[in-house]
Amino acid sequence: MTNEIVYDATVGRPLLDDAKMSMRGVNVFYADKQAIHSVDLDIGKNQVIALIGPSGCGKSTFLRSLNRMNDTIDICRVEGHLMLEGQDIYDPKLDVVPLRARVGMVFQKPNPFPKSIYDNVAYGPRIHGLASRRIDLDEIVESSLQKAGLWNEVKDRLHAPGTGLSGGQQQRLCIARTIAVSPEVILMDEPCSALDPIATAKVEELIAELSQNITIAIVTHSMQQAARVSERTAYFHMGHLVEVNDTEKVFTNPEHPLTEAYITGRFG
Amino acid sequence: MKTIDLVNKNLAKRYRKEKLFRAYGLASIGFGLLCLVLLFSDIIGKGYKAFVQTNIQIEVNFDAGYLGITDTTNTEQMFAANFEGLVKKSLREMFLIKKRSDKRLAYSLVSTDSGYQLHDLLVANPAWLGTTKKVWLLADDDLDTYYKSVDNLNGAFTGRMQEQQLVWIKNLLDNDALQLQFNMNFFNLGDSTEPELAGIRAALMGSLFTLMVTMVLSFPVGVAAAIYLEEYAPRNRFTDIIEVNINNLAAVPSIIFGLLGAAIFLGFFGMHRSLPLVGGLVLTLMTLPTIIITSRAAIKAVPPSIREAAMSIGASKMQVVLHHVLPLAMPGMLTGAIIGLAQALGETAPLLLIGMVAFIVDIPSGVTDPATALPVQIYLWSDRPERSFAELTSAAIMVLLGVLIVMNALAVLLRKKLERRW
Amino acid sequence: MDKLHLDQHISKQFNADLEELKTQMLEMGGVVEQQIIDAVKAIETADGALADKVLRVENDVDNREMKLDEHCTLILARRQPAASDLRMVLAVAKTNRDLERMGDEAHKIAKMAIALNEQGGAPGGYTELRHIGSGVQKMVNMALDAFARYDVEAALQVVQEDKNIDREYESAMREMMTYMMEDPRSIKRVMNVIWALRSLERIGDHARNVAEHIIYLVKGLDVRHVSVSEVEKQLNGS
Repeated sequence: MTNEIVYDATVGRPLLDDAKMSMRGVNVFYADKQAIHSVDLDIGKNQVIALIGPSGCGKSTFLRSLNRMNDTIDICRVEGHLMLEGQDIYDPKLDVVPLRARVGMVFQKPNPFPKSIYDNVAYGPRIHGLASRRIDLDEIVESSLQKAGLWNEVKDRLHAPGTGLSGGQQQRLCIARTIAVSPEVILMDEPCSALDPIATAKVEELIAELSQNITIAIVTHSMQQAARVSERTAYFHMGHLVEVNDTEKVFTNPEHPLTEAYITGRFG
Repeated sequence: MKTIDLVNKNLAKRYRKEKLFRAYGLASIGFGLLCLVLLFSDIIGKGYKAFVQTNIQIEVNFDAGYLGITDTTNTEQMFAANFEGLVKKSLREMFLIKKRSDKRLAYSLVSTDSGYQLHDLLVANPAWLGTTKKVWLLADDDLDTYYKSVDNLNGAFTGRMQEQQLVWIKNLLDNDALQLQFNMNFFNLGDSTEPELAGIRAALMGSLFTLMVTMVLSFPVGVAAAIYLEEYAPRNRFTDIIEVNINNLAAVPSIIFGLLGAAIFLGFFGMHRSLPLVGGLVLTLMTLPTIIITSRAAIKAVPPSIREAAMSIGASKMQVVLHHVLPLAMPGMLTGAIIGLAQALGETAPLLLIGMVAFIVDIPSGVTDPATALPVQIYLWSDRPERSFAELTSAAIMVLLGVLIVMNALAVLLRKKLERRW
Repeated sequence: MDKLHLDQHISKQFNADLEELKTQMLEMGGVVEQQIIDAVKAIETADGALADKVLRVENDVDNREMKLDEHCTLILARRQPAASDLRMVLAVAKTNRDLERMGDEAHKIAKMAIALNEQGGAPGGYTELRHIGSGVQKMVNMALDAFARYDVEAALQVVQEDKNIDREYESAMREMMTYMMEDPRSIKRVMNVIWALRSLERIGDHARNVAEHIIYLVKGLDVRHVSVSEVEKQLNGS
């Protein structure tokens, strides 16, 4: 049945009334190859949306186009309207530096800077000039680490290298570094794929807490994780957005046969 | 037959091959080490004697009347005094010489510089005026060669020595009037036609000034070029051509750079010949490709995740480069630069073409003083007929190698200090 | 046609697990169905031996229930099924419970049969027992069949059929009341028949539950506590 692939419009509810980010007719190309085919999708304010799909389905590409991380790839071209609160993020006049301060990103592999824990978190506020006095900076660092649930583990060794932490701690350090610049949206590209289950649980707990006032889009290969952390789930297949629905619906009764086949492990 | 039996059957053969494979590697390293040991033992064996010099003890009467000096602080008197005559007089008295032909032979036992040595001694010890003192004077290179080889099994090397001189030397040896002393001249003086007065200092300083110019110019330029090419330049035909050309430049024979330097800096800009400045410029041209290539490799080796991390919290391109890429790439860049500079230090050909092959006696004190360089000095000395120069050549090679080792040690130190784990 | 594609997982072991789950459940269903037939027959023909057999089978049914539950738990723990797989496991688990209850009810009917045997026959109600008994048995059979084929239409029929059973139960009750009023001495025996009828009606309800599980399994719709017409509307709407 997976042979009869029909890419009509996305099924489910891709559009929302109170969207933080709304994407319309997004096409992404790598040179001549089209990686994303006319995607319409809204991301709700302070919601967690999970992007799932098989490898190479374009979910990471789509995620990276949301804060223009694809700009660094010369051959990558993005078409369509990508709006952050009504502002076109691909507007040539838009400055990408403040955009990335508003839309932060956490990566698959924990990538702390080879600096101290303190400097890792303080880096963002420093370059953006968020704290004029040392004491303000200390406060930002402390509250960011607190929010990332790392403060108690590292408060006695703030000046130890960030790379000396365990994998899960490193990932939470990266999240602390991201939230130190108070982003409105955080994009997470498989943030737990390199972590053990306990570290994963901590990060998931963190996602739930952060989503109270931050909008989060998370790409994950773990269906269970998508089911656990997200409110809405979007299923990508071969560059098409096949289905978007409430997570509960997607994981009990998906509308599209492709979604069903993917989440029940029936791809042959 | 079971699979495991087949495996066991072939096991011995596989282990034999494995051992052979390892033996090849060991043999290669052994060969390399052997060559190195041969090279070093040859150079050191030949050159270590150059660090000492033969001195002759002579009784000198600092006769104030003869010298016409009343006050040793009076430079005019000191300058006018005939110290050379005093040396000769002392020699005549010492060897009890009557014959005119013997006089010349006796005089040639000491260095041509002996008069100045007496002058310096008297300046240092004003009280000696009017007294008779035994002083050590520098021996001539022929005597030096003879004395250094006097203990050889197959007899001392006599060279141009005359019968009469050998008799005197025998006499001197019996009186313990010959002695080896540390060769200060080698480190303090410039070039000379007399081996006992020839030193490495002019060449060493020339090399250091040249290298300084090269470093100051090539490192920033090379790093800047590498950063631009890696981080900013778009990928297109034009940058491809640049890249290919940089790689080609690294393979261009150095003499071509010499010709280029001669044409541009001497011909077009009309700079003077033999200047460390010009030498540095030429070597900069030669070193740049190496530095650019190694710096680009160092930049490429910075994990992209660090770049992404910085970018994702809103660092601008320049901040990404200055705060993250450059510090992480710096050890690699420095290593590349030092390799490039070490290469430049050993380079002779381009320097010959811009005139750094001149006979330089005065120690250069800046980049605009005529100078020569260590490898050029080695090349020049290796060409001289006097036997002592062979020793000096080896000694100069040792100095060159010493400088290289210091540079490499510096590179390792800098790496250790700057390297950061990620 | 297997619309759920439960046999198309990448993991062949998972396919086999789900298949095994279904087979176990249907086997149990078969046992329970036979139990119902036997119980009804035992009460009808006053066959004490047959009633005893029904009582004995009850243990077997209980064991099967526990085994099936364990199997469901194992699949949940091991595979963390989602979507149709999840619905399958849940439907089986719930159906399992309903089947076990059906077994319990059959057990009660058999007890009534033994009681009637000892006390002498009831003045009437046997026709109703037979009628409702066969209707209920048909429902159970249809529900199991629908489960085997994931047939929503058939499941819907079962749901509708339950209404008829309820109606017939009402009228049988009224008749039993007349018997009791006519001859108060027979009340004890009539009560036995009433209990049996009541059990049959309960079995019908459980069969309806099974049918609802099938609809949930196939369509992902929860149609419990919803009227039949509403169920049909939802099914056609989806």
